[in-house]
Amino acid sequence: MSSHSSALYERQHPAILACQQVAKAFYAHQQSPFTALEGINLEVVRGDFVTILGRSGGGKSTLLKLLGGFIAPTSGQVLFHGVPLSGITPKIGMVFQENTLYPWLTVEQNIGFGFKVRGKQKHQYALRVQEVMEHVGLAPARHLYPHQLSGGMKQRVSIARSLAIQPDVLLLDEPFSALDIQLRRRLQKFLLNIWQETKATMVMVTHDVEEAILLGQKLIVVGGQPGQIMEVADISDPVFNDRYDRHFLDLQQHLERVVGEEPDAMENPFSLAIVKGHQTTSHS
Amino acid sequence: MVKGNSGWSSGMSRSLLPLICGVISCAVFVGIWEVIGANPENPIAQVLPPPSKFLPVLFESDFKIGLGSQSASIHQSVIVTLIRVISGMTVAFVGSIVCGLLISLSKWSELFILPILGLIAPIAPIAWVPLALVVFGVSNLTAVFIVFMGVFFTLTIATVAEIKRIPENLLVTAENLGGGNFARWKFVIIPAVLPGVFTLLRLNFIAAWMAVLAAEMTGLRDGLGTVVMTGRNLFNSNLILLGICIIGITGFAVDRMLLVIQRKFFWWKI
Repeated sequence: MSSHSSALYERQHPAILACQQVAKAFYAHQQSPFTALEGINLEVVRGDFVTILGRSGGGKSTLLKLLGGFIAPTSGQVLFHGVPLSGITPKIGMVFQENTLYPWLTVEQNIGFGFKVRGKQKHQYALRVQEVMEHVGLAPARHLYPHQLSGGMKQRVSIARSLAIQPDVLLLDEPFSALDIQLRRRLQKFLLNIWQETKATMVMVTHDVEEAILLGQKLIVVGGQPGQIMEVADISDPVFNDRYDRHFLDLQQHLERVVGEEPDAMENPFSLAIVKGHQTTSHS
Repeated sequence: MVKGNSGWSSGMSRSLLPLICGVISCAVFVGIWEVIGANPENPIAQVLPPPSKFLPVLFESDFKIGLGSQSASIHQSVIVTLIRVISGMTVAFVGSIVCGLLISLSKWSELFILPILGLIAPIAPIAWVPLALVVFGVSNLTAVFIVFMGVFFTLTIATVAEIKRIPENLLVTAENLGGGNFARWKFVIIPAVLPGVFTLLRLNFIAAWMAVLAAEMTGLRDGLGTVVMTGRNLFNSNLILLGICIIGITGFAVDRMLLVIQRKFFWWKI
């Protein structure tokens, strides 16, 4: 898959995705620029599961969009395999919070969409789609349309669709935040199983501390104004896979405090306006 | 599609109940009409003869209506009119989606072209009849042109609006999965706008239907509109009402047909 020189590069620099002094500012009308992120340095290594934790509006989604090439940094560099990222690429998959399935396609067609949209013939990808559907347990639902699926099923299809084309990294933007707690736990387990079986590299954004510890191997807390990396934790130890373990609970308590102690953006009417401006710009 | 079910009538209410009620109300309406029209002295019966009087006209002279060489059978008239409406609407539907896509390619084409379309769209299709007769003469092309003019501009504006309404994430996701510009058009934008534009086509069918009938009444020499005008020229109220009745039933049938097409092929919502 990778050429000789990039294989050599990878031995020296194992990071698939890296941020170097990345900053992102948004320019709203007639306002001074709003700096969402500043001085971000991070590395995502092959096979890693990184969770980015932070409160809403704290810049964590912006960071994920930067990592996926959906937006360009104002300064600094996002490196993908050591090369500056120039835009959206199928090598970096993205699963959004809200449902982005195509309502006119069945589950099977949605999962195969990444092949179809690149001009592949059905016989070239049917087997791969079949394999993915069986792997994620969606085979019985293959002929259903998105409006016939529950919220959890929809997210499973979205994840399967992104994984089907085998990206080097999968980014997930609060994929389970719209689901109820039982369903969320089931899908967390589902995602963890997929990660363990495929050894895919994943970066997931969440505001749920428990979810961040449970799923991640490495945890990054983003916060502050402007947004910075406040804390990095290695949570690859198995104790962090048990939500009732003492270490898990200690870390959870600590992180809740870190995330919770930030000044509340909503208290300040001026910053509220900026946050709104930031959201509208970041969607464009 | 799953709708909320409530009570015992849920299974019935979806298919049978509206049909039964519709048939009953129509039967009562026709019944009252027949009772009032039964007395030939009644002036109403002379202008509005009941179905029992005007329906037999259908079976007179081998289903033919009209004088001498210009006479045409009823089913010919229905088919002629239907072909005109359907071909006009098909051309307008395809054309408006293509034009809408092209216009939405650039902000500038939207800014410059949409006002022109907005100016032309409100022109009543009937107003094009004289112009069409001059340009195309007495031909099917005239009727198709009028239907097209009545539908095309509204649908093009609708297509542009529908394209704007497509959730950004559907397009971003297609790009993220490796789709280029053309693939995103073909696999995302076109399927996403089809249901909305088709719904508007269905709503505009009445305008197209009126336009083609008006053209047939004023300029053309065949079709359902001509049947009504023949009745007028012969002072034959039975023929006029027969024509009106067939226009009503055919229009209703086409509307249902469009609804079936929509439910079968363009059912999704974005």
